[in-house]
Amino acid sequence: MSPEKGSEDLRLQHLVDGIVRLAAGDLEARVEPSERGDEIDAVIIGVNLLAEELDHIYSDLEQRVADRTAMLRRTQDELERMAKMDALTGLANRTLLNERIQEATAASVESGLAPAALVLDLDSFKAINDTLGHGAGDAVLVEVATRLRAAVRATDTVARLGGDEFAVVITEATDEEILDIAHRVSAHLQDSVQVGTETVWARASIGVCIGTPGYPAEALMRDADIAMYQAKIQGRNTIQLFHPDMLDAVQERSRITSELRSAINGDEMALLYQPVVELASGRVTGLEALVRWHHPSRGTIMPDSFIHIAEESGLILELGRWVLHEGVAQLMRWNTTAPDLAGFHLHINLSAAELLRSDLLADIQDTLKSHGVAPQRLVLEITETVLMSRGALEQQVLGSLRDLGVGLQIDDFGTGYSSISYLRTLPADTVKVDHSLIQDMCSNPQQQEFVAAILQLISAAGLTAIVEGIETPEQAAQLQAMGCLYGQGYYFGYPLVADKVLDHIRTPVPPR
Amino acid sequence: MDPVAANGGKSSLEVSEDGYLNLRWLPGAHIQVEDARAAMAGVNQLCQEEHLPMLVDMAAVGSVSREARAIWSIPCGASRIALLGKSPVDRVLANFFLGVHVPPCPTRFFTSRPDALDWLQASS
Repeated sequence: MSPEKGSEDLRLQHLVDGIVRLAAGDLEARVEPSERGDEIDAVIIGVNLLAEELDHIYSDLEQRVADRTAMLRRTQDELERMAKMDALTGLANRTLLNERIQEATAASVESGLAPAALVLDLDSFKAINDTLGHGAGDAVLVEVATRLRAAVRATDTVARLGGDEFAVVITEATDEEILDIAHRVSAHLQDSVQVGTETVWARASIGVCIGTPGYPAEALMRDADIAMYQAKIQGRNTIQLFHPDMLDAVQERSRITSELRSAINGDEMALLYQPVVELASGRVTGLEALVRWHHPSRGTIMPDSFIHIAEESGLILELGRWVLHEGVAQLMRWNTTAPDLAGFHLHINLSAAELLRSDLLADIQDTLKSHGVAPQRLVLEITETVLMSRGALEQQVLGSLRDLGVGLQIDDFGTGYSSISYLRTLPADTVKVDHSLIQDMCSNPQQQEFVAAILQLISAAGLTAIVEGIETPEQAAQLQAMGCLYGQGYYFGYPLVADKVLDHIRTPVPPR
Repeated sequence: MDPVAANGGKSSLEVSEDGYLNLRWLPGAHIQVEDARAAMAGVNQLCQEEHLPMLVDMAAVGSVSREARAIWSIPCGASRIALLGKSPVDRVLANFFLGVHVPPCPTRFFTSRPDALDWLQASS
């Protein structure tokens, strides 16, 4: 073998080695050509160039894949962010909030500081939406979101749970810090909100639940919600800290709701009737139907203990329907038994929710007709709070009721924020003055003057006053002296079962 | 016109009496991107008035980097380019340039100078 031939073999050997390295994935492998520039060098250079191209294509492909992957990751992150964000306010939504609670709960195992939750519900948001429209409502929600963000720490999460309900998750904070944040949140919501030319308030009832290590994440929000509910009951625009007793109360309320539903559908509800009398003669001019719940194990339950539950659960509509049917049916039974006493009215209380019951008018009309009772004999008692805050729809219903011939009475006058001017514009005939106004009338001349003024005011508005809560002959006499025509109270009779009513009407309390 | 040494001294450039550009790469030169860029700048300098055909003498060039080859994809003052080499190595290098990159003007590889000049003249 010549040296030349031997060196050629060596180049070929290098070439084979280089190709093996390339085949193994080492795309940076190159074979050194000789100075000869012959065919073997041409092959060597060709292989080097092919390897270079391949390396370039691979690198380019890898770069493109990396770029696309990064782009997909960014898009996915953005989608995830949007999926966990409230579109209107930009706050976290319920999904993200739950995640944060889970994370904070897990982290608390080491730190010993469990997360806390605030649940906020705006106190008068529905009125803003109803009167100023949803655009204004949205603007208020956005402003509330901004204020909440400003009130909490950077590490806390503010979320909108939906509607006018918000939540804050506070992590790594002491009890004192948590309550500070709750008060700061409340303070930030005290100032009015300007919506166009309108000024509104977006204050909130706030429930606080401070977790403890091991506190289940899902229980945290539930309990903050229960506390918020308590804050609402206790007068709104307040902060309420969760206490385990509240959970018992909620469970109790849930049990009562369930029992109340079957009570209305069964035969546990009953009506008692309290006389409304003409002060001058003692004659019974009306009977107010008062509902009682004869519970199989707890005895008779007064409405104060279950009406608010009926209202919250919507059962008030069922209950109202039952009271109307039963009251009117009883009126017909009295008519049949004692046609000579057919002059008195039946007073039935109507709740705010019932005023919006879609079939209210038809139901009243049909019930009266089917029992042969004239509409004039029915008086619907509606609280002044309901009448004061009535919307267009309520106004329309009240007008239709009047057209029907049914009497309308303002109930509990003097307990709400009465406006003198509204007395003249309300579609009512009579006003029931609340018992609280006459409580110490006999011992307090000033209160006496006050009641006299109210009676004059009602009279000046063209309405007839009925004072309730009369317990003594002195009160009856004083009211009569002031020009009051009608009254109601224990002095004239306790609420009676239907069977006793006619006898009572026939033997009225003698006038003073 | 005297040949002009391009940047780095790896090539020279002149306009021949026959009116074509002649770029000569030195034998054994390893052409990098900056060498190619300098050579192209020289070509553009000489072709400010009109585009000229160009003979690139690349016989026995050591290597041409990928980036250097890519430079010749950019349109320059040459109206057509004849790549002149001798060895099989020159042929491989030239054809990698022609195959992998799209030349901006008609470009061919020759191993015969007269053939290359004939082809360049045919365009004028």
